[in-house]
Amino acid sequence: MTNLFGIIGVFRTPDAVRNAAEQIRQSGYRAFDAYTPYAVEGLDRIIHPGPKVFLPLLMFAGAVAGAALAYWIQYWDEAVSYPLNVGGRPYNSWPAFAVSTFEFMLLAAVAAGFLGMLAASRLPQLYHPLFDARTFERASRDRFVICIEATDPSFDVDSIRALFEQLGAERIEEVPA
Amino acid sequence: MAVTLTNELPPEAPVVAPDLTLTSLSEEVSDRVLMSRAPLWWWVGFLISITLLTVLFIQLGWLFINGIGVWGVEIPVAWGFAIAEYVWWIALASGGTIVSALFFLTRSPWRSATNRIAESMLLSAAPCAGLMPIMHLGRPGLFYWLFPYSSVMGVWPQMRSPLLWDFVCLLCYILMSIMYYYSGILPDLATVRDLAKTRSKQILYGILALGWRGSVAQWQNQRVVYAIMSAIMAPMVISVHSVVGLDYAGGLTPGWHDTQFPPYFFFGAVISGTAVIIMLTILVRWGYSLQKVLTEYHFNAMAKVMLVGSLMLCYAYVWEAFGPLYGSDVADKTEFYQRLFGFPAPLFWSEKILTVVIPQLLWFPAVRRSQLLLFLISGGIVVGMWQERFMFTSASLEHNYMPSYWGYFYPTLWDWAALAGTIGLFLTLFFLFLRFAPIVSLAEVREIIDEERSR
Repeated sequence: MTNLFGIIGVFRTPDAVRNAAEQIRQSGYRAFDAYTPYAVEGLDRIIHPGPKVFLPLLMFAGAVAGAALAYWIQYWDEAVSYPLNVGGRPYNSWPAFAVSTFEFMLLAAVAAGFLGMLAASRLPQLYHPLFDARTFERASRDRFVICIEATDPSFDVDSIRALFEQLGAERIEEVPA
Repeated sequence: MAVTLTNELPPEAPVVAPDLTLTSLSEEVSDRVLMSRAPLWWWVGFLISITLLTVLFIQLGWLFINGIGVWGVEIPVAWGFAIAEYVWWIALASGGTIVSALFFLTRSPWRSATNRIAESMLLSAAPCAGLMPIMHLGRPGLFYWLFPYSSVMGVWPQMRSPLLWDFVCLLCYILMSIMYYYSGILPDLATVRDLAKTRSKQILYGILALGWRGSVAQWQNQRVVYAIMSAIMAPMVISVHSVVGLDYAGGLTPGWHDTQFPPYFFFGAVISGTAVIIMLTILVRWGYSLQKVLTEYHFNAMAKVMLVGSLMLCYAYVWEAFGPLYGSDVADKTEFYQRLFGFPAPLFWSEKILTVVIPQLLWFPAVRRSQLLLFLISGGIVVGMWQERFMFTSASLEHNYMPSYWGYFYPTLWDWAALAGTIGLFLTLFFLFLRFAPIVSLAEVREIIDEERSR
């Protein structure tokens, strides 16, 4: 038997893929994922349930770090390294530093979110076994794909094929690893 | 579902044409990116853009060799076209972010098909804005002195100056806009990658899409980050344009020293940015035959945003007049009377007509339905806002406190070349976006199609 990455079932509508994901989960499979042309509502409650706090927290941490760094640079410049008396204002004139601190805080938050999104999604990853599946390219356009992966303990080609057929998959395909 | 700005359409009115499907949407939009030959109108537009861009390079060369004396800037009017156009360009860019980020937060369905046009517009306009102050520096090669870095001279930039805040804002704004744009376009690049037929395009878009697969976790990450980014971008852009206002408000010049400037500038950004987006959307819809995706619904909503922007601007104009007329400062009064009846009066009054009086036509649904009228009104607003930015930059300096110090600004040919050249840079970048990136957010329009189907 050739080494398999998994088996994909291709569905035509968002309702079909939601229903299929629900059924597959109830049949006891755990290592499966759905690939859709847009964020199908409700699918994330079936496949990756639970609160998603990592990226928001990362962005918040980025904001705090960015604000601290920006304020520190300004403080170092104006109060420590190159103090200038401007109209008798204090060297650590924090109201004047607020604007740049604010802007840099937002930049750091967005950058943390952007890089965090890529890292959490394991991107860039230019090659993936799924790209070898002939119908997979339509998952970025007009089809909804579910892949049950070979790492699942109850992975069995024939029973999965039967399950996909019963769920009304338009096409079923084995994906080599 | 939010039905903001579209209350006179029936609730079941389609946002996109009812016969648009997932398949036809992806193919229609991606075909425009993947076609091997661009249509004639694209080449005509691109050649015009490149010609204007050449003007920019010639202008830059002449300016860098001779210094800014080639422009009309002189004492007392040391801030001329370059600074006014910096404000103008950054306002256009800010308007793009407003349409894209603010209306994402309100979940307005009309935003989904137009946000990519708005973002492409802002990414094309922001470099033009960034170029203006650099050209205006007497020694443009030293612009990097604005960075707080540890130099051998031990000299640091003055962090308390609004001009430095402005530099920080613009730099952060451009970097954030690029990341915001890329986060949104990533799934669409994957669609283009999967539809590409030739090897070179498959490789190009394959690299750009970074291997996006559209798995549940990837969508989750993308949606969460994109939503937070939108919530950050909207106040960010308000702060950026407010800081541009502080450049003026921080000066003691009559007509500038006014606390209303930050919101006033922002109102101008809303109206002029929306106006450019409407013009570009009409161009894209006609040129790429996207009548099914960009419908009357979108123009109706954007026209109303523009009308609101015009009313907000009108409010700012009232305060601009109220301050000097009510106050007791003679210099403020004199300067304001000059605007009303003196040398800049033709600019002043024609600008009020273009940005406040004529846009009131948008109250009529028939006007909002006519693409020709919308295009003309938007064009008038863009020109009017340019006049406005230029007028208050120069008029205040022309009539400063000391009458012996008064003088007028006369632009030279090179001033106009800088304007034409940056328009060339803007159009060149926009035409490249139009040719090489999906100009409609596919992932979000798919959600609209899904919503309409399930209704």
